[in-house]
Amino acid sequence: MEPLHDLTIKKFHEGLLSEEFSALEVTQAYFARIKEKDSEIGAYLSLAEKSALREAEAADLAVAKDEPIDDLAGVPLAVKDCILVKDLPATAASKILEHYIASYDATAIKKLRAAGAVFLGKTNMDEFAMGGSTENSAFKITRNPHDLERVPGGSSGGSAAAIAAHLAVAALGSDTGGSIREPASFCGVVGLKPTYGAVSRSGLMAMTSSLDQIGPIAKTVEDAAIIFKTISGQDPLDATSVAAPYGESLTHPDLQKIREFTVGIPDEYFIEGISPEVSRAVESAMEKIKGLGLRLKKISLPHTRYALSTYYIIVPAEVSSNLARFDGIRYGGTMAPTERAKTNLSDLYLKTRGEGFGAEAKRRIILGTYVLSSGYYDAYYEKAQRVRQLIADDFKQAFESVDVILTPVVPTPAFKIGERTADPLTMYLSDIFTIPVNLAGLPGISIPTKKNLAPHELPINFQLIGKKWHEADILGIGQFYEKID
Amino acid sequence: MVEKASITKHELEHLAKLARIKLDPKEEDKLIKDLDSILGYFKELQELDTADIVPMTGGTDLHNVFREDAERENTNRSAGVEAFPESKDGFLKVPPVFE
Repeated sequence: MEPLHDLTIKKFHEGLLSEEFSALEVTQAYFARIKEKDSEIGAYLSLAEKSALREAEAADLAVAKDEPIDDLAGVPLAVKDCILVKDLPATAASKILEHYIASYDATAIKKLRAAGAVFLGKTNMDEFAMGGSTENSAFKITRNPHDLERVPGGSSGGSAAAIAAHLAVAALGSDTGGSIREPASFCGVVGLKPTYGAVSRSGLMAMTSSLDQIGPIAKTVEDAAIIFKTISGQDPLDATSVAAPYGESLTHPDLQKIREFTVGIPDEYFIEGISPEVSRAVESAMEKIKGLGLRLKKISLPHTRYALSTYYIIVPAEVSSNLARFDGIRYGGTMAPTERAKTNLSDLYLKTRGEGFGAEAKRRIILGTYVLSSGYYDAYYEKAQRVRQLIADDFKQAFESVDVILTPVVPTPAFKIGERTADPLTMYLSDIFTIPVNLAGLPGISIPTKKNLAPHELPINFQLIGKKWHEADILGIGQFYEKID
Repeated sequence: MVEKASITKHELEHLAKLARIKLDPKEEDKLIKDLDSILGYFKELQELDTADIVPMTGGTDLHNVFREDAERENTNRSAGVEAFPESKDGFLKVPPVFE
């Protein structure tokens, strides 16, 4: 059997068709590896062994019957815990949802299920996707497979660590300000944040509805493209989803066309505070892309430095509204029945939410309540929405003279566990290069600069930002980049 | 933007009440400190003249997305009811609103 270390969606599919192995064998091998390794990593919050084995058998049956199968048939996947998979726990790493079981499939899951995918389990994350290190999980921390003393990034840290530690072939994450791309960089895997509206948000627990997107985390750009192709599309259950004309070029890029691209390098992303190893790694990626025949061009995105403030006004505002639904009633209660019998409704809300939400969730709910309150709305929330437009306009103007934009993903490699938990602002800074992409609604991909790392070397990714609905451009460059030795 | 960028204890308690979150005194002190530094950071937005900029109110350029005004049967009602901590005859049961 193909060792799990090398297994990609592509290789799995070929092995399955040539009957080199069965989906059941591979799924069992993953569970064996998870049981052996995950006590050390902490990527998963819950496993779905029984249903996963059943899903794998269904894929094997289709192969045995010679039925046409999808690229994703039988592929063992991990799913971030804020994305609903019917009949599996969905806690979003929050105590307030500790006992919640999803009653339906997210649309992205429905599509993967239709393609025959296998769901191994749900992965750890920062509570309700708020954080950049997975240290905000109410249940446990996740460790970076490249250095167990370091964080895997976040908020999709469990999904990224699962892929880096070979505990799934690929995974789903969600990205509001970098939550797919930052952990992908810290763990040295590929992560795609699609154009806002490309993937249905139905069944994704809303954190910041105007920014959230579901996207793939995978070992290769090609695998990320296969998953994106499957999960994208318009959905009546998400009024902001769009029917974009994505075609074969997502997975079959045309090098001739890509060679004609101009790659923008924004001055504002190569600032003081970026670590020397990140500069070096991103510059080496630029050289390789130049080597493919693409042209590099300096550009300016002048409002970049305001993105962090803008983001941390808009996000808490939407968080305070979205998290109002967790009231200790509708998604299950955390209060003991004897205590419940003695309380009134108002005290039940106060107590459940006071005890059920972690520190970052409370910070954002209170901050959001403040920036939306009468007297402060114009000064904070509306001001931030105006600056958001300026940031989006920067990109629009830049894309008049370039096809894609190349930047670092994070200013530093993975930091140590506990290093940034004391001050929320230092934690927020790890997202300065990813946040503008969400504010503008653009697609962004995080790609490892290096395939083979020396011992003790930490991974560093670079980011490609595309025009709206032009995932094929950044996935295309990435697919050619990863073939360079 | 407002000059005053700090939150008093009294204001915090009011916000927590609006948000239906019970805070303990230790949490309150830490939150006041955190919110002060975050709100202080936001001051940089004052530098920008945005008088003529139309606020970007969402992530999409779509306008008026309609669906057919047709009856739909919810086949999954029991799953919602099962998630309630207490129910009676398929309805949600909550503690008293008035005492």
